[in-house]
Amino acid sequence: MKKIIAVAVGALLASGTGAVLAQSQQAAKPLATEVCSACHGPEGRSVSPVFPRLAGQQAAYIILQLDAFRSHIRGDPSAQAYMWGMASQLSDDTMKALAGYYASQKPSHEKAGDPALLAEGEKIYTQGIKAQNVQACALCHGQNAEGMGAFPRLAGQHVDYLVAQLQGFQSGTRANAPIMLGVVRTMNPEQIKAAASYAASR
Amino acid sequence: MWREKQRTFFAALAMAGSALLLAPGSAHAVPSFARQTGMACQACHTVFPELTPFGRRFKLNAYTIDNLPQVSGMNTSKEQTLLLNQLPPLSFMLQASYTSTKGAIPDSGVPGALAQNGQVQFPQQASLFYAGRIAPNFGAFVQMTYDGTSGTFGWDNTDLRYAKMANDKFLWGVSFNNNPTVQDLWNTTNAWQSPFDQRSATAPTPGAATLLGGGASDMAGVSVYGYWNDSIYAELGGYRSAPAVGAPLDSTSTNVLNGFAPYWRVAYERQWGRNSWQVGAYGMDAKMFPGGGAPLSGPTNKFKDWAIDSQYQYIGDEHLFSVMGTHIKEKQTWDAGGAANPTTDLKTLRIGASYYYHRKYGAALGHFSTTGSEDAVLYAPLGNAVTDYANSKPDSKGWTAELDWVPYENTKFALQYTMYNKFNGGDTNYDGQGRNAKDNNTLYLIGWLNF
Repeated sequence: MKKIIAVAVGALLASGTGAVLAQSQQAAKPLATEVCSACHGPEGRSVSPVFPRLAGQQAAYIILQLDAFRSHIRGDPSAQAYMWGMASQLSDDTMKALAGYYASQKPSHEKAGDPALLAEGEKIYTQGIKAQNVQACALCHGQNAEGMGAFPRLAGQHVDYLVAQLQGFQSGTRANAPIMLGVVRTMNPEQIKAAASYAASR
Repeated sequence: MWREKQRTFFAALAMAGSALLLAPGSAHAVPSFARQTGMACQACHTVFPELTPFGRRFKLNAYTIDNLPQVSGMNTSKEQTLLLNQLPPLSFMLQASYTSTKGAIPDSGVPGALAQNGQVQFPQQASLFYAGRIAPNFGAFVQMTYDGTSGTFGWDNTDLRYAKMANDKFLWGVSFNNNPTVQDLWNTTNAWQSPFDQRSATAPTPGAATLLGGGASDMAGVSVYGYWNDSIYAELGGYRSAPAVGAPLDSTSTNVLNGFAPYWRVAYERQWGRNSWQVGAYGMDAKMFPGGGAPLSGPTNKFKDWAIDSQYQYIGDEHLFSVMGTHIKEKQTWDAGGAANPTTDLKTLRIGASYYYHRKYGAALGHFSTTGSEDAVLYAPLGNAVTDYANSKPDSKGWTAELDWVPYENTKFALQYTMYNKFNGGDTNYDGQGRNAKDNNTLYLIGWLNF
């Protein structure tokens, strides 16, 4: 019997899913409910665009960001004001548990905006802007903006939040994503708004 | 009306056991919360002391959100018995001010002479705070204030609270505090009112005030509150007389509450995008023995306050905009005497709007009014210049405008002008000694540091 359990646990640990993960997510729930939810909303569905929606976000991305807050690598104004403090005492295990909890929540949907803007956004998102050397967002963030691993889900995010991040990459206040620094360099405010609106609406 | 501002430091210490003492004070933000949470002031405040939605949530949660190394303790049944910041969450506040009134105030010693106009107060107030977590789910906001006008230390706003999330959607808590509305979350109510959180401490101020409009003092209370779905707030509590000095309560005290005075509060808040809007109502029902030579028994005077309030905030990165107002109606019943009429009314109205650019440069405009029944005894002329009522009416009305400069998140300079159309019941010769309401127009400059 013991052997069976050991094998089972080993299998679960190896796969990184199942009961063990579920258990650590359960452990993260009180923290998420009592602390994180004050800004990020219940189950990671925030109301204010100052605070990103975390429901359904990629776990690897959440861990990367929490670590970047803790080590002060991500330093945009809101990161400094809120997250440097909040992340300062988090252990690696807690970060993983929180990431798992939020990744497993059902993603939000952002209302679709102006059709003309979305059409322009779709072009940028799926094809990039060749003349300005802007890569297609879909290459990393996925056709449906669901993200993958370290590349965040953008679908269902607040448009204003995405715009603020792109502006942060451009101005250098948020410098913890080297790829993005290059991508947004030549984008103008309208293109930023269009791409963000499309990605959020997926 | 019952405004007695300060208590001596030692008397307060002697009574500190109860930790629920009072002197109605002004509103302050505290860097010890920033130290405890590791978050910037702007997380909880638009510009201090006005709270953001997150600031309200922090207060609801009993000031316990914490990101500091802890001293912790646990018993054998794995119950957390201690969770204390390694460094105490202390902070210090200093205010210095300059006040000039349109007409100088009469000299208090020599008849016909005038006091010097253009008063500097350094400090106007200096406060020491303990503000932060005390134990799991249990936190405190305790303010001790040195008042430059009286030259004494006293207890100021104090709020001890316990809070717990019952589930994802419902939070409940208990607050022990020393003045109605100190525990309130919105900046419409008296203790933390915006946008004019500070007023001159030396300029003449209108005499009549409703209980919930600033008249309540020398009481301590406990209330239970619940907050559901980040939108519906309800609170019920009661206050009892608790003067910092003057124990035992007897005929030498004045306006002593008979038993507990119930206090209630309901509010609805909605957030969308960067906006939040609140509408609410609150009230208090106080029965008081007049005291002042009469024993604390027999009939009481009754003060029933009923108020509505509303607040809107837009909190952008560049532009911040707030509007807030409250209307308080007080029904006064003089069963124990003290007025010419058996019943009288008193109303307080306050409405104001403020704008900040990048949380750095701000402007605010507001209207205030106190109106009420004429009463020849309540508002009887006593032969005092400035504070008297020649017309037996409590009415005071006017406008306040303010310019603000907030060079750092914890430092604020404000230039404020208050204009009175009516003061203590009249516009011209309101005190019967030739003073006009507009003579009390006040120019006030304040520097305010929190560290």
